[in-house]
Amino acid sequence: MKWFNPETIKPWLLLLPSVIVIGFLVGYGVWEAIAESFREWETGKWTVQYYEELLMKEAFWDSLFLSMYIAISSTLASLLIGLFLTRVLQRYFMNYRWKSLVWLPMLFPHFVAAYLIILFLSESGILSSLFYHFGWVNEIADFPFSIQSQHSAGIIFTYIWKEVPFVILMLLPIYQQFSPEEEATVRTLGGNSWDVFKTTEWPSLFPVLIETGIILFAFTLAAFEVPSVLGITYPKMLPVLSYQWFFENDWSNRPLAMAVMIITTLIILFIAFLSFWVTQRRRMHIARGR
Amino acid sequence: MSRIQEISAKSCVAVLCLLFFLVGCSTDDKEELEEQSENTSESILNQSWEDTLAEAEGSEVHFYMWGGDEGINHYIDDWVAPRLQERYNITLTRHPMDITEILQKLQTEKRAGKEDGSIDVVWINGENFKNAKENDLLWGSFTDYLPNYQQYVNKENSEQQYDFGTTIEGMEAPWGKVQYVFLYDSAKVEEPPASFADLAEWVKKNPGTFTYPEAQDFSGSGFLKHVLYDKIGIEALDGKEYNPSLLQQHSDEIWGYLNELQPHLWREGETYPSTLSDLDHLYSQGEVLFTMGYNEGRAERLIADGTFPETTRSFVMEPGSIGNLHFLSIPFNSTNTAGALVTINELLSPEAQLKKLEPSVWGDNTVLDINKLPDSYQEKLKDIERGESVLSADELQDSFLNEMDPEYTEWIKEYWISEVVQSGNN
Repeated sequence: MKWFNPETIKPWLLLLPSVIVIGFLVGYGVWEAIAESFREWETGKWTVQYYEELLMKEAFWDSLFLSMYIAISSTLASLLIGLFLTRVLQRYFMNYRWKSLVWLPMLFPHFVAAYLIILFLSESGILSSLFYHFGWVNEIADFPFSIQSQHSAGIIFTYIWKEVPFVILMLLPIYQQFSPEEEATVRTLGGNSWDVFKTTEWPSLFPVLIETGIILFAFTLAAFEVPSVLGITYPKMLPVLSYQWFFENDWSNRPLAMAVMIITTLIILFIAFLSFWVTQRRRMHIARGR
Repeated sequence: MSRIQEISAKSCVAVLCLLFFLVGCSTDDKEELEEQSENTSESILNQSWEDTLAEAEGSEVHFYMWGGDEGINHYIDDWVAPRLQERYNITLTRHPMDITEILQKLQTEKRAGKEDGSIDVVWINGENFKNAKENDLLWGSFTDYLPNYQQYVNKENSEQQYDFGTTIEGMEAPWGKVQYVFLYDSAKVEEPPASFADLAEWVKKNPGTFTYPEAQDFSGSGFLKHVLYDKIGIEALDGKEYNPSLLQQHSDEIWGYLNELQPHLWREGETYPSTLSDLDHLYSQGEVLFTMGYNEGRAERLIADGTFPETTRSFVMEPGSIGNLHFLSIPFNSTNTAGALVTINELLSPEAQLKKLEPSVWGDNTVLDINKLPDSYQEKLKDIERGESVLSADELQDSFLNEMDPEYTEWIKEYWISEVVQSGNN
């Protein structure tokens, strides 16, 4: 039988340790979170009351909208800027010096990046002091750029600064595979730059952009450090809201905190499946030659 | 054990058994183990202090405590730890961790039936103590067993019996005492406000120079509790049980006052500092002119290390300043209760308490009854200069207010966002 063929079993055996670790650690964690969100805190009976309560809460909806707004806008902005930089600067990135320079932000942990933003861009930050020094603003408090605002400019800015190098990292190998002949073919057939991009680059870029986008979106939606440093009092991003409910002195909100995390996970899973479905369909179209 | 814990403990154990089926343990074994260990560890309290000292000798004690203050960390690492090593041959290891996370860890261990925990001493008070006590995360009633507690602490005093309204019952030993004060830069503010009404006037005249940490922060809810005292009155709150009708009666006044302040606060009240350290940062940068917080002596070291301006002074406003005690306790699954008892007893010694009071060390007030101390220590206590930014002992004593019932704090935290932040900014 094929099953007993050692060559067939080998990859499974090799994967087994990591599958066990991931399965138990992540699986057990997710299971505990689900169980806690569906159990009455005092008695341990199964219930959906916490989800009902959550969906009735204005604070939850405001947090959800804020999180979606931040995750979508910073992901799209990072992808666009990353794509633009890779296209324009790909020749320089062959040189190791430029490549290291652009990847520099990846060395910083996210919370360090958030503190750097405070250090440079806050009302009492370095930039504001320079403005004051040169007399462009009369008082430190008049500094026009506000990082902690309803628009969450600070959070989005931090994510863009951190994630653009990641987008470049993902896109660069693709650009380095493109051969000049393909471009020449399009040009010979009378195509302009847009046609070159659309016919030679886009088909290979699209799946990678989607994949990178999902990674960034999932991370931004569920990450805690940056919004906890740069967020405002109300509304808070979902992970901060969940953390707050979880670590409150009154432990009765803990199921709610878990419910928030479960819903966040569901959103990420939904978007991931949706985009896999889209890329899969495209691949099938390409395979059929349509 | 309450029902929920029993269920989750059992389900936890069941899952663990599935996972590590080789170990092959059952819930019954766990419960037996638990009973045994409880019997052995509590019997310590029946033996003589000398026996406990002997038992603790050569052991290791793991002290889990909030680690956000360099001065406090130095005190533990460089003064307390060497002293314990020298006198009792105990090795003290400090582990920095927030108390909520410590309790989370203990709660998880409780559910999993883990009886040999890694924590021997915790630093705790208030709502966290209430939580730990209600969830059976603490070891037992031990304070009467400590020689220094017996000798130097005034047990009759109400502050030694209730921690934020929760009866202590010997489950935690007092360690220090702090009072809530406001700090200001005397070079920029001539006359700090003397009451909450004054404060409202002040922020209107000087917009953007004052704010307080959000309600979820310990110091932020501390500020709001003072507003409650101001609007509801001392008589109705100090040492009284929770009375929701008071809040109904006065809620318009309370939220009205905070909404009156909001548009004149830092950043027009659109956002608040999320922690006290954020507010301290704003103050140190000169963005705001005031900061605040528990511990009447906290400005001293921040001035000394150059974080705060040298002209920083403190003040309290009418109706007064809330003070509270902080405590030391032993978790239910400590593996070295003898060492923990000796360590806590040593931290309550007059020497350790005096050292802790020095402004360059920590500046934290003593919990010992001054009248019970030997004369030489009473003299030393009087000689300690707490620093220019600290109010006099009389002034602090005159303005002292007890912590109110924790239910009030829960109420503030629950409604502050919707009543103040949302309503004012929409």
